[in-house]
Amino acid sequence: MLIPTTVALLADVVRGDRSRRPPRDDASAAGLRALLEDHFFELLGPQLRVTPLIISSANLRGTGSGRDLGDGTLSHARGMIVSTIFRLLVAQVHVEDPFDDAVTAWRGDRPRDPLLDAVLHLDPDQSARLRADVEAHYRVLLSGLGTIPSSWLPRTSLRVRQLLAGGNAELRDVIDLMVGSNRATVANVALVDITTSPLGAGAERAMRYHALVQTLRSGVVPLRTVAFSSATGEFWALDVDHALLVRAVGDVVDVVARATVTP
Amino acid sequence: MSSLIQRRLNVRNLAEVIEGAPRDAAWIEEEHRTSLADRFRAVPATERRRLDAWMVEHAGRPSTPFAWSPATARRILGNNALRRVQGDPEDILRAVRDELADQLLRATRGYARPGSLGHWLASVNHPILGLITAEAVNWATQLLECLPGDDLEWTVAASDVYVDLAGARTTLRGRRDIVVSTDFGRIIVRVRSGQPGKSTGPGLRSDLVVETLADPHGRAPRRYLGVWPDAGLVLGVDGTMENVRAGARDLLRTAVAQRRHALVLAA
Repeated sequence: MLIPTTVALLADVVRGDRSRRPPRDDASAAGLRALLEDHFFELLGPQLRVTPLIISSANLRGTGSGRDLGDGTLSHARGMIVSTIFRLLVAQVHVEDPFDDAVTAWRGDRPRDPLLDAVLHLDPDQSARLRADVEAHYRVLLSGLGTIPSSWLPRTSLRVRQLLAGGNAELRDVIDLMVGSNRATVANVALVDITTSPLGAGAERAMRYHALVQTLRSGVVPLRTVAFSSATGEFWALDVDHALLVRAVGDVVDVVARATVTP
Repeated sequence: MSSLIQRRLNVRNLAEVIEGAPRDAAWIEEEHRTSLADRFRAVPATERRRLDAWMVEHAGRPSTPFAWSPATARRILGNNALRRVQGDPEDILRAVRDELADQLLRATRGYARPGSLGHWLASVNHPILGLITAEAVNWATQLLECLPGDDLEWTVAASDVYVDLAGARTTLRGRRDIVVSTDFGRIIVRVRSGQPGKSTGPGLRSDLVVETLADPHGRAPRRYLGVWPDAGLVLGVDGTMENVRAGARDLLRTAVAQRRHALVLAA
């Protein structure tokens, strides 16, 4: 069930009411893995594929109405830049000029990224459009994020990879922000997805997907999964339970089923 | 036969593989060291060679030249930061900033040699320092999350281990992040990004042999564990003589393969 977002800051909604956290669930992961394995075996068969079928949150988003708007390269570049700014904000780094700072950081991280090269060679009109767009997203992020305390153990842009079906399928994910620890006796980990698109059905599927992949990776069910749109400033939060994770398995199975249908 | 231990990565499983490590680990004598150095000497090297688990896993293929980036700097900074906050993990961000400040101070005072982390950090501008901070916080937090429980005595390794083989123009490097001390010997944990591949076993065994060679008494660790937080997996090899021998053979094979690659490139 979606939690109504009456609070103004993402930092306030991420971890919810401390007194209402359920006990840590480290028993569900094995069952979910088995469920996925069974479905994948039915769909992919026993034969080992040359390359695994890769599933990511983009597949989940793309299946509904949550597609990115606008030109592909520009929107992808905007996503990268906003994600970099978000990382800087969470690390409590002063951002002087969001576009320039993010591009500088991106260049320092991956100087040979073809997408970065495309951004650096945009014509003046497109460049100005992207800069203005980034500035608008930055303002929304700044007003909606709040301060994430270091004691919450925030980590950003976390990569997750899970091989399933004997290596025939690989679930990949990048979690924009994760807070909390799996060591607590209660559910404690919250996942945040930052999207530059308005929230839609695709964003909700992506939220479930993040929760599923994190459960498979860590063996512990997270507390909450949140999506924040830097386009509109709205955020959605879902408490993670077994039913939500089973739904996420269904979403993934749908993606694999579509991918295996021969045209 | 040498076997590979594999578990899903969580605090309980990691504690189990640490506590379940065999009590008796192998040890090597001076003759083993001499014999290994002789074998490496038999593989000609035009220049000084450096071998590590990564090269073993990639069959000695030449890698791209090393360059500092937020991703390559995070391990040193993250490990040093974790050492600072051991016992008080509440403020990893501050510890990373303190570590960065120390590195920059060293560079400002002229103690950082060209090519070092401090030297590179002093040359980058503040948005990149911000990204480096984010990466180092990620590393330290991930490491903290997969550390064994409070019952075990662990320390963040001060550095990787290096062994020079006399007269063989060869340096062996063993990667390690956490050292767990027990009454019966040490257990080493190393953390890697991504997911383990098919040659993970040889990589872990080569780290095991370097760690054993670097020990002044030639004592192998009870177990050598590789942790892959991205994949949620922990793999390990026991410190048996079989594994030490297999690791040494893998390193030698890599030296031979590296020599072949060098000859092909030169031709």
